[in-house]
Amino acid sequence: MLTLIKIEWLKIKKYPAFWWMLAIVMLTYPGLNGMFYYGYIKATSGKEITNNIAKMLLGNPFAFPETWHSVAYFSSIFVLLPSILVIMLVTNEYNFKTHRQNIIDGWSRQQYITSKLFDVLIVSVIATLVYVAVSIAFGIYADSSTVSQWNEQLRYIPLFLLQTFSQLSIAFLLGYLIKKAFIALGIFLFYYLIVENIATTYARYKMNDIGRFLPFEISDRIIPSPAFFGRFGKDAKEGYEHALNLVPEHIVYTILLTTGIWMICYAVHKRRDL
Amino acid sequence: MQPVLSITGISKSYGSIKALKNVSFDVPEGSVFGILGPNGSGKTTMLSIILDILKADTGSFAWFGQSGSSITRRQIGSLLETPNFYHYLSAVDNLNITQAISGRGTPADIDRVLEIVKLSERKKSKFSAYSLGMKQRLAIGAALLGDPQVLVFDEPTNGLDPVGIAEIRELIKDLAKKGKTIIMASHLLDEVEKVCTHLAILKKGTLLTAGKVDEVLSNEDIVEVSSSDPDRLKMVLQNFPGASSLQQDGHMVRLFFPVGTAKLEDINRFSFEKGITLNQLTVKKKSLESKFFELTND
Repeated sequence: MLTLIKIEWLKIKKYPAFWWMLAIVMLTYPGLNGMFYYGYIKATSGKEITNNIAKMLLGNPFAFPETWHSVAYFSSIFVLLPSILVIMLVTNEYNFKTHRQNIIDGWSRQQYITSKLFDVLIVSVIATLVYVAVSIAFGIYADSSTVSQWNEQLRYIPLFLLQTFSQLSIAFLLGYLIKKAFIALGIFLFYYLIVENIATTYARYKMNDIGRFLPFEISDRIIPSPAFFGRFGKDAKEGYEHALNLVPEHIVYTILLTTGIWMICYAVHKRRDL
Repeated sequence: MQPVLSITGISKSYGSIKALKNVSFDVPEGSVFGILGPNGSGKTTMLSIILDILKADTGSFAWFGQSGSSITRRQIGSLLETPNFYHYLSAVDNLNITQAISGRGTPADIDRVLEIVKLSERKKSKFSAYSLGMKQRLAIGAALLGDPQVLVFDEPTNGLDPVGIAEIRELIKDLAKKGKTIIMASHLLDEVEKVCTHLAILKKGTLLTAGKVDEVLSNEDIVEVSSSDPDRLKMVLQNFPGASSLQQDGHMVRLFFPVGTAKLEDINRFSFEKGITLNQLTVKKKSLESKFFELTND
């Protein structure tokens, strides 16, 4: 196992796109959350009555412990950045025909897929570490008086890791099956940004919310919208509570889907001509 | 002695195209085994199957008496079809990966093989900056890591300049002298003729013949004879007992015999007794080229 990780690291550590992507993720996560934070400050800092109402309704979504939740929610939108890296990492192997050479040199076909699983895991862990750092930074900066509550809602760390790993696994599956970087990226972005969003929204109102079983939506639901979304009246409160209640169920679905994806990869790779 | 590689009844189709049809042969230890055939005859498909890149439809193969696995592949240095490396990595970084996956050699061995394939000076350059010939050399270097007992080379001189081709041929001969078993696919006849001890000829997926080069090439002995008077020589030798046919080519007369029956002393004595002094008398094997065309022509 450790040998596989070491070998993957030999491949990744001098891959420029990896470091570019890391840099972009490190800028995007704080940037995006900063944008929402700035919006929050603007809405609550005035002396008008509306500002006070806003403050009352919103609380401080970036103070501990809510920062774990809010930052996870906002950062997860940008899973498409590490997805691009994951797709590149697998399609590169086809492009360079190293997916063959690795086998010729003595990996089993199973070891090859396991090495790719570690790639996806490594990228997921890095994204999660950036998320943790950003959450802590906002938590301290937004309201230093609540820092003592830092250890509440820590569950969002493993949930963020699971969600990222699950969604990157979908990206991997596309790259693995399609083999061509640009086609895989095109399909991924089109589906992730457009198709699933439309389908989920449509299904929510017309088809008894069946859209929650779509591949990305399954894991999107393990990190529901931040708590303040539930403070805008009775319906919102019920909606938020309903979303929270569904989380355990969706954790199970996410694990099942992700396991299924990797089982497909192992099964296909065992049989197919390389 | 157990063969290094034993192939039994392998068939492979791509859709309606039959790339290999029930091919079987053995590769003896210590041989330089050439797999020869025109483009599209199934050479690379054959090598891909024994390296587990492609799955055979039927049939099986065994390396060192065991069915092929990642463990057997680690003992074999292989170059299949094209040099496959990470474009953004240097030669050394790429060989580090080969070394780590195969377990062949040590990190120190990387310098040794780069020296052999004459890439030491460019070992820190990125693979993407290499010329075609340098890429091919690196692939051969990767196969040599850890000094494996068995090597598989698919068109090893592809992309090399004439000096490079000669060097790789010398390298293959050196490896053969050290007792390595080398399996080599090629469509270059003289390449195979110059270095191989054994030979298999494929045509459209069918194995036409396999065996020792001597046996495959000589299904008859050809004796070339000449003297100062070729016409009289021809007339006299027409009556030589045992020759199956005779041909005149300028000053040269060629006598054809069934394999192993040509006796030069007898020809010399026969001619001398008829008053002809020979100025040349040699046994020629059939050239691989003529044999190849004979076998592969419809």
